[in-house]
Amino acid sequence: MASFRAPPRKGENFELAADLNSEYREKRKDAIKRVIANMTVQKDVSGLFPDVLKNMQTDDLEQKKLVYLYLMNYAKTQPELVILAVNTFVKDTDDPNPLVRALAIRTMGCLRAEKIIDYLCDPLQKCLRDENPYVRKTAALCVAKLYDLKPELVIENGFLETLREMIVDSNPMVVANTVAALTDIHNSSVAAGSTEEIFVITNNVLSKLLIALNESSEWGRVAILNALARYNTESDQESEHICERVVPQFQHANASVVLAAVKVIMIHMRNVQSENLTKQLVRKMAPPLVTLLSNPPEVQWVALRNINLLLQKRPDILTNEMRVFFCKYNDPLYVKVEKLDIMVRLAGESNVDALLSELKEYASEVDVDFVRRSIKAIGQAAIKIDEAAERCVNVLLELIGTRVSYVVQEAVVVMKDIFRKYPSTYEGVIPTLCANLDELDEPEAKASLIWIIGEYANKIDNADELLGIFVDTFIEESYPVQLQTLTAVVKLFLRKPDSSQGLVQQVLNTATKDCDSPDVRDRAYIYWRLLSTDPGAAKTVVLAHRPPISLPRTTVSPALLEELIGEVSSLASVYHKPAETFVGRGRIGADTLPKTTGDVGDDKQATQKALQTVVAGQQAENLLNFDDPMADDQQPLGIAATAALAATPAAANLLAGTSSNPLDDLVSIFGNVSMGSVPAAAPQQNGLGSFGGLSFGATPMAPSAASPPPPAQPQQAQDDLLGLF
Amino acid sequence: MAIDGLIILDTAGRPIIQSGFRSSSSAYPLLHIEALNNALSKASRPSDVDPVLYVSSLELDTPSACCHVKHGDLRLLCPVSGDVNPLYVFAFLQTFIDILREYFGQISAETLKDNFDVVYQLLEETLDASGHPSTTYPNALRDIVLPPSLLQKVLSVAGVTGLANQSSNQHPFASPIPWRKTGVRYNANEVFFDLLEELRAVVNKNGIAAMSQVWGTVHANSRLSGTPDLLLSFAGSQTLTDCSFHPCVRLQRWTRDKQLSFVPPDGQFTLMSYRYQPAGTHAIAIPFTVKASVVIDESKGTFDVIVTSRLTTRTIEKMTVDWFLGETASGASCAASNSSSWTFDSRARTLRWEMKNITPSSSFNLRGHFATTNKVPRPARGFRIKFEVLQHTFSSLKVDQLKLTGEMYKPYKGVRGRSMGDVEWRW
Repeated sequence: MASFRAPPRKGENFELAADLNSEYREKRKDAIKRVIANMTVQKDVSGLFPDVLKNMQTDDLEQKKLVYLYLMNYAKTQPELVILAVNTFVKDTDDPNPLVRALAIRTMGCLRAEKIIDYLCDPLQKCLRDENPYVRKTAALCVAKLYDLKPELVIENGFLETLREMIVDSNPMVVANTVAALTDIHNSSVAAGSTEEIFVITNNVLSKLLIALNESSEWGRVAILNALARYNTESDQESEHICERVVPQFQHANASVVLAAVKVIMIHMRNVQSENLTKQLVRKMAPPLVTLLSNPPEVQWVALRNINLLLQKRPDILTNEMRVFFCKYNDPLYVKVEKLDIMVRLAGESNVDALLSELKEYASEVDVDFVRRSIKAIGQAAIKIDEAAERCVNVLLELIGTRVSYVVQEAVVVMKDIFRKYPSTYEGVIPTLCANLDELDEPEAKASLIWIIGEYANKIDNADELLGIFVDTFIEESYPVQLQTLTAVVKLFLRKPDSSQGLVQQVLNTATKDCDSPDVRDRAYIYWRLLSTDPGAAKTVVLAHRPPISLPRTTVSPALLEELIGEVSSLASVYHKPAETFVGRGRIGADTLPKTTGDVGDDKQATQKALQTVVAGQQAENLLNFDDPMADDQQPLGIAATAALAATPAAANLLAGTSSNPLDDLVSIFGNVSMGSVPAAAPQQNGLGSFGGLSFGATPMAPSAASPPPPAQPQQAQDDLLGLF
Repeated sequence: MAIDGLIILDTAGRPIIQSGFRSSSSAYPLLHIEALNNALSKASRPSDVDPVLYVSSLELDTPSACCHVKHGDLRLLCPVSGDVNPLYVFAFLQTFIDILREYFGQISAETLKDNFDVVYQLLEETLDASGHPSTTYPNALRDIVLPPSLLQKVLSVAGVTGLANQSSNQHPFASPIPWRKTGVRYNANEVFFDLLEELRAVVNKNGIAAMSQVWGTVHANSRLSGTPDLLLSFAGSQTLTDCSFHPCVRLQRWTRDKQLSFVPPDGQFTLMSYRYQPAGTHAIAIPFTVKASVVIDESKGTFDVIVTSRLTTRTIEKMTVDWFLGETASGASCAASNSSSWTFDSRARTLRWEMKNITPSSSFNLRGHFATTNKVPRPARGFRIKFEVLQHTFSSLKVDQLKLTGEMYKPYKGVRGRSMGDVEWRW
């Protein structure tokens, strides 16, 4: 029982050591199994290393596998002992049994011990040219593992060239695994900052890949499809050819093959000139996407996230399939949420009735979060489809009739959006909304109702009474409610100056004297000053016409969408964010690779760029819930963000005075002078500056306003502004 | 892109078996296990936890994601780093579960622990350490990892290891057809096809289906010698849409004349799956009707539900009607008619009504009341109804003909149809 470390004297490991050295092979094999079992439950059996190692040389393949398993587990902690196994490994790579050859080369690749690696190259060279395809494909993957540990060895030994030759192997399994290995190496070399293209897909490689595609296993197909997605076509015909060859993959039973094929088609379809073919491809894409929904919820979710993205790019894919996305009450919440979003995307005049009756059902479900989202969806449908707006309003009224608190509150919020889109159309429902005033306890719902009252103050007889309730409790209310109350009272005053003089005085007093929030105070000061200097100007500013809101077709910016479409079926497409923002470059094992410092900066820059794109995307997302709490928390960003957004319709909404963000409101006040066209940073700066000149007290936002560069100069707006004072 | 490894957790969230991770840090798998357990303990319903969890870490500079699925009492999770297609991961997990089932039948923590050596070998063969799934065709896998069979156990107890190993193929992957092993011999050549269709529908309170789909699969069990080349033709195949196939099926032939031409793998496999779309109309007939009247009062509700079969010749079997009575439901008491039974699961707050056999045109009735601890009961707005119908398919798809070429024998052919349903019926 000679060994390098003193074996344990007693206990289980002592018995195991004895059994491992037994003269009976059955006993030894059984002991190995017990060692592995202990290893599984995290017991320390590393002390048995030499005893286990002795059992490596055996004809029994199963026993050999178990010993190899043990070696892989402990090679990291006991590299000096693994060296003893090298001879057996090398010998095994010459074994007549291909399984043993493959096993040996695979295991050697997994042992992350420096010392072993130097012995790996010769057998690997041999195995790459083995007569058995199983050995060849195992060896191909082994090259990628070796590259991860010591890239220079791979390059010195010419393994890359060998791999490139293996792409034209006669066996599709070898081709697929070679492609996977080359892709891995390519990616980690790119991640390490290399500019050299390791895996270049040439015309010749392409045709080989297209042939191997149909013969490969599902995993091989995914690897090949991912490689095809990277290929830069030389002509439009080539793109069409690839699309035609890839389309049959839609009928594969494996969902990941289907989605990888969708990705290839989406990428190469950009170059397809024939409109007919494009149409055909889009039509063929629908059935496999629908089929994905017959899978378990996890797969459904990934599929839904991707469908959501694809619909933003090609809204015509699933036009007749909305019913497929109807929710069942026992669907997991994450599936329901995605389905809702997609249903609204697919909604049109022809199917809106089915959608509405479905949404009405959801709104009476048990899950509060889902109910709220369903009600929001009704509002989105109303804004999206003009013809259906009235039906949507009726459904909302029915829901308000249920008097379930959270249903009513959400419905009120949604009604405000509908008023924004269709001003002066549904005034008939205002009394119903006001009747539910007492039920509201959420700030967003309260703020929404107050906005409605303020907007239609001249049509509501007891508007002053209703607003009076909020003015009385002004200090207790949350800031968004305070801001809305303030604006609404001013609107009321401008419309019915006689009856509400006292009220406006009261609210301005309270807001400027007793309120904690500088935003509320500032807004009150502005109103006060406006009203006292020029009520006519106040009227044009506060009661100005607002640009209508609309539903954005995309939730992410067009540039990002284009990038994500290229990433369909990847993690990025599930998060709807570029990969750099959530996954570090390179895999965890790659930390041993030397990283050149120069590239870190590049990386950071790329990430920065990606993050900016995301920020822009997220802001565009805030269409309907414009009381974005994020914006509240990050005051200094307010103007900068809105300035960047000024071009989008969603921004108009943010800027349109309904927002609780006082900065947005400020912008809208001045924006209204030039009627709807939203002024960018320049007039804001000027505007704020002139306030400063008017001795307005604290102007905390001035520094932040100075930061954005003035991209546009609506000269007229500026002039008008100055003329105001 | 790669799957970093696979971990199987038991009911308590402890790892039973995990594959070797290439990562240099041993904390990596633990981090993912913790992230999953954390997410599960925070969620109000475990099924609502996102299937892809974002796992950030301070120690390891690269964040990663954790894809997980539940199977029975077990949870399987795959940590992934890098921009990996989550579907790829889920597809692999599903494949791995199927393989485990094929090897061990029912999978539980116990069977996995008892056969950990086989599970380890399977992990090694199916998931290469570089993160790519490799051999997952059961036919090929059986060549390199022996299933734990009784014979083998007997042999190993008797100490005759040499014999036990003889069945292990010395020339793996020599088969020209990757999904079929060579040298298959049967005394009696048989092939069976099971047409299994599942109706998924949502029915409104007025009895109209808001959504109804039939998903069908053709399962096959091939016990044929040599390299048989089969040609299967259906009657009624024109109503099948959205088909997807086992890789053995020659797609061109299907596109051309809707016939399945293939060399089958040996043993059980799923030949194809499809969606049944009846011509013209949207709706697929639901084989029963439900009439329900529910009255909600303060802290309680009374109900009267009648289920009537619409079928005229077949019997609906194993029907269960589940009704979630709301988070605050405290109990129910009912009277169920003719040999049906009811139970109330106080943990899931769900009332279950079971009917073993519903003969043609017969009716069943359940009436009773339930109580809740809060004032306004909010039971689910729909019943979830599951059922089976034997010897029946919604699509009336039938196997028309099976031709065998390439071998001389005449096989025995068997075809069965079976329907299942998962219907949400709103009241």
